Amino acid sequence: MAKTILAVDDSGSLRQMVAFSLKAAGYDVIQAVDGQDGLTKATEKTVDLVLTDQNMPIMDGLTLIKHLRGLSSYQKVPILMLTTESSDEMKAKGKAAGANGWLVKPFDPKRLIEVVQKVIGS
Amino acid sequence: MHMKTLATAELRSLLTAVSDHGQRHLCEVAVDLQQINGLQNDAVENLGLNFMAVHKLVCDQQNFIERLMTAHQFDSEDAEQLEALKQRIGDEMCAVVTGLQFQDLTSQLLAKTINHVNGLKDLLKELGNQSDEINPEHEHEMIVKFLEGMNHSLDAGSSALSGGLKHSVGQQDMASGDIDLF
Repeated sequence: MAKTILAVDDSGSLRQMVAFSLKAAGYDVIQAVDGQDGLTKATEKTVDLVLTDQNMPIMDGLTLIKHLRGLSSYQKVPILMLTTESSDEMKAKGKAAGANGWLVKPFDPKRLIEVVQKVIGS
Repeated sequence: MHMKTLATAELRSLLTAVSDHGQRHLCEVAVDLQQINGLQNDAVENLGLNFMAVHKLVCDQQNFIERLMTAHQFDSEDAEQLEALKQRIGDEMCAVVTGLQFQDLTSQLLAKTINHVNGLKDLLKELGNQSDEINPEHEHEMIVKFLEGMNHSLDAGSSALSGGLKHSVGQQDMASGDIDLF
């Protein structure tokens, strides 16, 4: 059974690129348009990995991570940030919030798949 | 004897003109930037869908050729050539996926620029707000007070604007970004 990844980003084209890359590698992808939508979809179905942007309207990525880490079903689910933000300060905030990794945009699909496989397997 | 008076009316008129013209032009800039953002988003989403459709068709075509090659027993050199082509198409698709992400970066920069323009518009509006009547007997003091107040408002507005506009996109090219696993 294919593993499911929740991709959270307010950019439609970015979600499109992430979904295309992950589906080509055999993963199922659920898409969410912001942190709030991501939280709703994450609670409807527990996914194997969350890949989230940081700067989004309504709820940003760090807030989403904090909410997810507060849920018992998401305490061990890997969460990766995929964002334009690249400062050490932001990475430290991500780590403190409970992120397992930080990917700076733009992403290379091959490298994204390698990371995802390393974190949750094929 | 002719008494020198301050050109209060002219000063007010100048400030109002700078405020009105500036606001009007900045309004147009904001509208144009929003239109650019919308056009860019639409174009990139369509391009993405088109590239994915092309990729799907090429994959179907390759599978079809592979079936033909198996049925007609092509030699291994042909199979290797087809595999190499498949690899190159995959690499090109990866480059397309990385390249098309420019929209996400420029869209954030455009949003920041639009906020900046709107902030400048508010500052100029402030410049045009001159409701206090000037008493001719205390004209000089009142003008000084008015200009000091205006200066203070502009400084405060400008600082608030700079503080509220976070620089979240530092990328200068489309090379793929760093990855850190914690």
